Amino acid sequence: MEEKTLKKLWQTSNEKLEETFILNRKNTEDITKLKVQSFLSSMKPLKIFTILVGLIWVGLGGVIIINLFIFAYSKFSLFFLYSAGIQLLLTAIALVIYIYQLILIHQVDISEPVLATQGKLASLKSSTLLVARILFLQLPVWTTFYLSKSIFENGQTILHLVQGIVTLLFTYIAIWLFFSIKYENKDKKWFKLIFHGKEWTPIIKSMELCREIEEFKQDN
Amino acid sequence: MQTKERNKLFQELIEQHKGILFKVARTYCQNEEDRQDLVQEIMIQLWKSFHRYNDKFKISTWMYRISINVAISFYRKNLVRQGNTFALNEQVNEIQYDEKSEKEQQLNLLERFINELKEFDKALMLLYLEDKSQAEISDILGISVGNVGTKVGRIKDKLKQRFSQYNI
Repeated sequence: MEEKTLKKLWQTSNEKLEETFILNRKNTEDITKLKVQSFLSSMKPLKIFTILVGLIWVGLGGVIIINLFIFAYSKFSLFFLYSAGIQLLLTAIALVIYIYQLILIHQVDISEPVLATQGKLASLKSSTLLVARILFLQLPVWTTFYLSKSIFENGQTILHLVQGIVTLLFTYIAIWLFFSIKYENKDKKWFKLIFHGKEWTPIIKSMELCREIEEFKQDN
Repeated sequence: MQTKERNKLFQELIEQHKGILFKVARTYCQNEEDRQDLVQEIMIQLWKSFHRYNDKFKISTWMYRISINVAISFYRKNLVRQGNTFALNEQVNEIQYDEKSEKEQQLNLLERFINELKEFDKALMLLYLEDKSQAEISDILGISVGNVGTKVGRIKDKLKQRFSQYNI
């Protein structure tokens, strides 16, 4: 088919299409009454809930731990203080990154060229995986917070051995996950097992889109 | 600019360029309901960005950028749902194929070819069919003019090949 014929065919069909579309003046008027949504009002309740729970956890936990460090350092188990401190610190870092990314996503200017906008959105969304990687780093401290000096002084050797193996194993898994959670592994079974479900699908799709954008740009 | 004046200007803008919205919606959505939803979403985003419009760009370039950006995000959100409905639409198209006029058949094929393309190729195809210059396509998509030329050439070849399979 000739190029001209093809474009003419497309144009003719567009005229028909415009007739079938409903776009009345009232529609447009209603839209002009819309107020630009704030960052918070445009978020889903589940996300707001997650952020609130995170803030409360980090806020309350932080106040308690800081006070214990300052006023009761010698009275509490150091295992508990340091484990809880590391857990709260990692959660706080993840929370800050998560909120910062959400704000950036909502601030992306969609009147920029298509590839630039989609690239920014996709890389921001996919970098949510960084939050997961950071959160996984807390795994080992969940195996140490309950320890105390007396356990080491009075406990059995077998228990110490089991404790050591479990903590080492969790440390290994945490570090391994931190370095292995990346796009290249998205088809691996363990990856799919961790990142399945509605919340993760758009993030994995965003990673794919990043690749497509690169291909599209380079394909010259 | 006064609010009333701004609202009026926006309404006039939409009225004048509504074709862009429809064409983008048509390129990215197969079913009517999704198209209407997408047009609505594009209008909302145009309105939200209206105060930022920079007149160093043509208004159509600005509108195409926003419309395609919204369409790609919308398309990705609805990918699973669209996949299911498309299978059905395709079957319906096959059944009715013989009964349609030649022009309608060609149009049907064109829509099917567009639907087979990836998101960015869809945008490129739309702008090519709209007879946009390579410079404007480059401005809208954000790739070099040379790259636009190569890609448009490839798309043309692909189209020719696909139509020739149906002796058109």
